[in-house]
Amino acid sequence: MSGKRKKIVAFLCNWCTYTAADLAGTSRLKYEPDIRILRVMCSSRVDPVFILKALMDGADGVLVGGCELGDCHYQRGNYYARRKVAVAKKIAADMGLDPERIRLSWISASDGPRFAEVVNEFTREIEEKGDTPVKHEAYV
Amino acid sequence: MIREIPRVGVYVCHCGANIAAKVDVEEVARFASKLDFVESARDYKFMCSDPGQQLVVDDIREKGLNRIVVASCSPRMHEKTFRKACQKAGLNPYYFQMACIREHDAWVTEDPGEATDKAKELVQGAVSRVLHHESLVPRTVDINPNVLVIGGGIAGMQAALTIADAGKTVYLVEREPCIGGNMAKFDKTFPTLDCAACILTPKMVAVGQHENIELLTYSEVVDVEGFVGNFKATVRKKPRYVDMDKCTGCGVCNEKCPAKAISEFDQGLSKRKAIYSPFPQAVPNTPVIDRDMCIYFKKGKCRACEKFCEADAIDFDQQEEKITLDVGAIIVATGFKPFDPSVAERYGYGKYPEVYTSLEFERVNNATGPTEGQIRLKDGRVPETMAIIHCVGSRDKNHNAYCSRVCCMYSMKYAHLIREKTGANVYEFYIDIRSPGKGYEEFYNRVQSEGVQFIRGNVAGVTDKAIGEDEKGKLIVLAEDSLSGRFLRVPVDAVVLSVGLEAAEGAEAVARMVGISQDQDGWFNELHPKLAPQATPSDGIFLAGCCQGPKDIPDTVSTANGAAAEALSLIMREKVEVEAAVSSIDAERCMGCRQCETICMFDAIEYDSALNVCVVNEAICKGCGLCASTCPNKAIGVRHFGNEQILSEMEGVML
Amino acid sequence: METCSPFIEVNEAIREMGGEDLNNCMQCGLCTGSCPWRLVDGDFSVRQMIRLAQLGLEGYESDDVLYGCTTCGVCVQRCPREVAIIDIMRSVRSMIMETGAIPKPLQAVVGSIHSNRNPWGEDAEKRVAWQKELEVPVFDGTQEYFLFVCCTSAYDRRSQQIARSMVKILRAVGVSFGIIGNEESCCGESVRKIGAEEAFQTLAAKNLGLWGEKGVQKIITTSPHCFYTIREEYPGEDSPVQVQHYTQVLASLLAEGRIALEEPIEAMVTYHDPCYLGRHSGVYDPPRSLLTSIPGVEFVEMDRNRENSLCCGGGGGRVWMETKAEQRFSDLRIQEALDAGARILATACPYCITMLEDSRKTTGAEDKIEVLDVSEIVVRAMGL
Repeated sequence: MSGKRKKIVAFLCNWCTYTAADLAGTSRLKYEPDIRILRVMCSSRVDPVFILKALMDGADGVLVGGCELGDCHYQRGNYYARRKVAVAKKIAADMGLDPERIRLSWISASDGPRFAEVVNEFTREIEEKGDTPVKHEAYV
Repeated sequence: MIREIPRVGVYVCHCGANIAAKVDVEEVARFASKLDFVESARDYKFMCSDPGQQLVVDDIREKGLNRIVVASCSPRMHEKTFRKACQKAGLNPYYFQMACIREHDAWVTEDPGEATDKAKELVQGAVSRVLHHESLVPRTVDINPNVLVIGGGIAGMQAALTIADAGKTVYLVEREPCIGGNMAKFDKTFPTLDCAACILTPKMVAVGQHENIELLTYSEVVDVEGFVGNFKATVRKKPRYVDMDKCTGCGVCNEKCPAKAISEFDQGLSKRKAIYSPFPQAVPNTPVIDRDMCIYFKKGKCRACEKFCEADAIDFDQQEEKITLDVGAIIVATGFKPFDPSVAERYGYGKYPEVYTSLEFERVNNATGPTEGQIRLKDGRVPETMAIIHCVGSRDKNHNAYCSRVCCMYSMKYAHLIREKTGANVYEFYIDIRSPGKGYEEFYNRVQSEGVQFIRGNVAGVTDKAIGEDEKGKLIVLAEDSLSGRFLRVPVDAVVLSVGLEAAEGAEAVARMVGISQDQDGWFNELHPKLAPQATPSDGIFLAGCCQGPKDIPDTVSTANGAAAEALSLIMREKVEVEAAVSSIDAERCMGCRQCETICMFDAIEYDSALNVCVVNEAICKGCGLCASTCPNKAIGVRHFGNEQILSEMEGVML
Repeated sequence: METCSPFIEVNEAIREMGGEDLNNCMQCGLCTGSCPWRLVDGDFSVRQMIRLAQLGLEGYESDDVLYGCTTCGVCVQRCPREVAIIDIMRSVRSMIMETGAIPKPLQAVVGSIHSNRNPWGEDAEKRVAWQKELEVPVFDGTQEYFLFVCCTSAYDRRSQQIARSMVKILRAVGVSFGIIGNEESCCGESVRKIGAEEAFQTLAAKNLGLWGEKGVQKIITTSPHCFYTIREEYPGEDSPVQVQHYTQVLASLLAEGRIALEEPIEAMVTYHDPCYLGRHSGVYDPPRSLLTSIPGVEFVEMDRNRENSLCCGGGGGRVWMETKAEQRFSDLRIQEALDAGARILATACPYCITMLEDSRKTTGAEDKIEVLDVSEIVVRAMGL
């Protein structure tokens, strides 16, 4: 890993992905440190506005994590989350931002290794994309 | 909106060396002390310890802190602990925020410098968030003291009896015509060899007669609404075509009925009538008419049962009924179904008549079964040699990867019974013998000493293709004995397949109905596999018996009692605290578009047509926040997970 | 891979012939892992043999497998299912005995038992030849003890020293004892382990008959094998005779102050527990109390001692069989004694003496260590 760390904001649902992140920790799995985890009760809580605001505020990437489809603690919240993230990506693209800076992943509570894997994968992708253009002087 | 000047206290935990070995905790505390509104910031060895908590309590009292941030482990670990500490000091517990610098930082980051930087940002996020926290008071609602038990096998019966004995009303719903479940089909039970009927019948009678148990057989729960303490369950009562109040259970109808059908109870090994009770000791002993097999229903005439019924109990006009039950807790005890071995062709099930499943063999052994308890081949001969094959459908990723737990023991029970009843040589083909339980290992040893041969090898095939004279007319079981390294051909007269256990038919529908989840194998998930094994993530829904995974009878009964105790502990509280972090709608901003009402997964939002606004029923709201993120006018807030709170935390971690 | 079918009649036969526990074995392998054969390059596996025997599959009866066992009893002592493994070994050997297919050297042993009443192929009429010039009282029922001299100590030159030592000690202390003479027969322990069950029963009956006739009430044996088998395996619930190994008798005499060990032996001494005295009979302390009471003796234990003692390799009929040089447990035992720093390796069993003396010579340790029976050492320390 070279250069400055990226800013990656993660909105994780309390029941699955946040728990998986805890498990990755308990299992002492090492992953890239760029990620900043925020807890929400359900991935469906994540307003597309949150995602867009994060990008506008200079986040290099936004990760939304929820339960596997069919396993939502609130029955079907993750299906709604899927739609909301799709909307956010669409708007981001229309705004001229790279929609691939937004990622949605289903990670079950018992899958700590998968969480670490997703973080590393996403961090690498963001690394490759480089700093968000929003940080460019003209926008600041 | 910040109503008073915040005075934030930040506590950075070392967690022994768990955090401090990676994160420079003193540096993080120094950093935190410079943040806006932070009154005091310190690091401490173990924040969750009594002195650690006391630190928070004292600081709130002495320094007048009104917001607390603890940077330590995951909030899923100790949020409650610190909320309590705040409360003890007179601070509303919701004025607390945790920064997870252990699981999400110290334990997962290689570089100490980077871990320290990350910890700083996480603390900054928490401080920034806690400024926007609001005081919340958890609300309480009344609990309905009745309990619904779904499934009338030994698990459901036991749970129902325990609750009923405590003086509470139980509705026990069973979809079959009578209770007893799988256990009623068993002959002897391992390792004590007492007969299943002898120990089960008194329980079935007790259930049938208990004044606090309302037994609903031949009925199914089709819908569950509501929330902990206040569920509404809809039960569909299938028509028996026999009036339960009039029927005396004399059995004349069964005698006179001319229509025959395959007995499900005897696993297809015998016949029953179209009007039938599954087995002689059935509770209730009111028969049902199998509509598909009844000549009257098929052809419009017969009514032999009606003619001979002295009690005038036959009622061909009975209709399906739907009733609603109000309950405070629900125990799910839907049990298991045996694995179907016909999908694994190598065992020859369905191809060779002398290959039996274990449940079939239970019926063969049972005095009320098709052979009246005698072990006989289909041609009436007494078998001279038999094979019992373990792990059929279990410990096999092509079928079920898990161990079904009970098969080793029941297999050895069969071996004992075969030796005792016929003197036949018995070969047990096993992968490992699993005998953990009181008297189980001893039983294994006993069966070995009775001369049963144990072949350590997964059976590669069962065939009737004889090679030598000794194999003629026999089934030959093929397996490596991995202990001697020899490949064996063992000629036998009959084979019993020790099939594994699978989640019951319809488990998925039940899960969806009561709002619980299933694991990859279809078993219901408990709240915590070790520390909350009977509870589920859905408050007020509990699990008992094999619906959560294979269990033997003692464990089933224990979990049933565990579930009953949990249900009782809930309903005896009389009131339940409901989540404070629920949604609320700002009536000023709501424009009555009703999108929230449409998407709410719990029907917690109602539309007030008079005011043209939507209103949240806080008792039902689970606080997922879907409505808040959906509201086009941002009129909906979620308490404790409001836009301001989430966004300020986001800003904090990104600074 | 060989394809075969179980032959369950074999299993039944073994159980009928004394190996009742055969099916109790759960094949955990602790026996194989604990067996002294693991210390040398040998194929003998107890577990594997039992497995083949359970299913009646070929292979359990070969010389190397079935007759490898020295019946040392380590496996029996540890078996989690308390399987009487030696009984299984014995009954399988009995079954093979009936077919006549036992190893050649053992055939000779059994033949000699029948014709000479001893396993060594020696003349029954020369049983008392070991006495030479010694005056040994003839047991006539008036003496307290009958000194039962093991066939090995009666006929083997080296081993005769044990019998002679015992006579010297008992006479010096004034113990009332005697021997019966050439009418005596082998106790039958070893032939029973070889599988000659009938021969054993005949010998037992004959011995009990003779002893009864002569009025024997208390027996002192020179060998732990005789001691064990008379005490544990002779028929009859309440044996009319009371049997002791000589180390027990001498230790009691020592405790009573009747034996004076006054001649110093300036040496490091270690003690090898014979399987049949230690593990099989639980006698560990008497020989040690004798050795440690001798002035000048510095007593050391070897790494493997008491319950964990290493078999000399001579039990179970092995003393008559050829063991490859690299497979001799007694070689290892000599080395262990040397490692412990001992100059004298003491033991209390004719088989152990035979095996250890042999290894002392073949491993070139003759100048480094002496192998002595406890009785011989007591003779030295008493200045006899």
